[in-house]
Amino acid sequence: MSAAAHATTPPAAPVAPLTAASLAQRTDQVAAVAAEHLARTDRDASFPVEALAEMRRTGLLGLLVPASHGGLGGTTEDVVTTSIALGRTDMSVAMIFAMHCQQVAALVRYGNQRLRDELLPEIAAGRVYLASVTTEAGKGGHLLSSESALTARDDELLIDRFAPIVTGGEYADGFLVTMQSPAPASPNQVSLVYAHRDQLTVERSGDWQPLGMRASHSVALRLTGTVPAHHVVGEHGDFRTIVTTVFAPMAHLGWSACWLGTAAGALSRVVKLLRGPQSRGRVNLDSELLLTRLSQARQRIETVHALLAHTQQVVATTDDLSVPRVQLLLNSLKITAAEECHQAVDGLIDAVGMRHGYLKDSPTRLEHSLRDLRSAALNYSNDRLHLVDGKLALLDAEVRLA
Amino acid sequence: MDARFSELLTPFLKFLGEQEITPDASLRELGLDSMQAIELLFAIEDTFGVTLPDDDMNDTTFATAGSLWTVISAAIDAQGAADGTRVTAA
Repeated sequence: MSAAAHATTPPAAPVAPLTAASLAQRTDQVAAVAAEHLARTDRDASFPVEALAEMRRTGLLGLLVPASHGGLGGTTEDVVTTSIALGRTDMSVAMIFAMHCQQVAALVRYGNQRLRDELLPEIAAGRVYLASVTTEAGKGGHLLSSESALTARDDELLIDRFAPIVTGGEYADGFLVTMQSPAPASPNQVSLVYAHRDQLTVERSGDWQPLGMRASHSVALRLTGTVPAHHVVGEHGDFRTIVTTVFAPMAHLGWSACWLGTAAGALSRVVKLLRGPQSRGRVNLDSELLLTRLSQARQRIETVHALLAHTQQVVATTDDLSVPRVQLLLNSLKITAAEECHQAVDGLIDAVGMRHGYLKDSPTRLEHSLRDLRSAALNYSNDRLHLVDGKLALLDAEVRLA
Repeated sequence: MDARFSELLTPFLKFLGEQEITPDASLRELGLDSMQAIELLFAIEDTFGVTLPDDDMNDTTFATAGSLWTVISAAIDAQGAADGTRVTAA
């Protein structure tokens, strides 16, 4: 554990009513800091501590905390908007933000009163960045089972949990951890528990040297410790309800927003390069091949944007998200965004060629974006989701579209 | 709940062990996997001769043995009414 993790916590900005303009201003400030450091965090595979400090300072970490608990009182739509904007600059920073918001959404909706009163003001003040501990060796990203059991003792819960991938885990101030419920009847009884960093011994194992998403610093951690009984989020054994109502929709909307932002940022930098004075007379803007490739990249981005906006609308207006047509829509969004955003950037590399498509020092940063976006299909595997969607498709013989 | 219902459910509940299926038994906790939903629907169709409405394909229906039985019973009653014959679901 490096000292840097706790060294950068300035006081949070005073909370003013959230407007689109003030949200955009906060987002711009975080994006500016992210831009300043992204070459280094990517090169060194190091966590963007400066961008996180700016999220703390601007109040963005408390975007989803209700104003009654000192937060910005934002909505899922605000998370999507912000994730797209941050993704334009740095996909790792955007994903760190979106996944933190997913955790906060679960706490806001399912935390008991005592836990909410204790924790939400801390999140709003920028003092608690949350990491998610849902992965487990041998089960991939499968959320609804766990091999590690919580132990209940008096008024405490004992945590002993290894997780192979915890984004930002070394820098998180608190963790939401899935474990088997105490005295479970089956491994399918999974509970979600909050643990503050000082309640845990956090041991890191292994190195972090990935192809892309290098600044997300998603390391393997072993967590051991004890938390009070009221740190269970939702009912013991009922994590499934949290997944259906909050975790899965927030993950698919949030991730897709980050990926869309990354692809949109890449296209924007390419267009600016093509229109820049240094390209004048050197790039043939009547090239049918170039025009077609630009059109195709834009088309992919439009497709994901439309699907994201529609899915967000359905999630906001549908009471029961568990029905097949809604599950299919949410999964289709994730699969489509992962594929199309990656392919949009891949196509842009062909459009601009070796110099500006393949080299690290090009202002287009296509090389970086492509490596980051390669993770999208793997981040809860598209292959796995297709199997689920195949089964769901069989349940909806009328093919009723959400 | 019908004895045939308990019998058709049992193979889907890998953590049932020697327990009896009660109306408040959580199907997920006992091991029902959403990937098996279509097989479970086939078993229901084959046993009771009814197709469950698409609108009932949600987490509430598949929450407990009792909630699933309520939906099946309603489908049996609806079909009985449509056929002009009364089938009583116990």
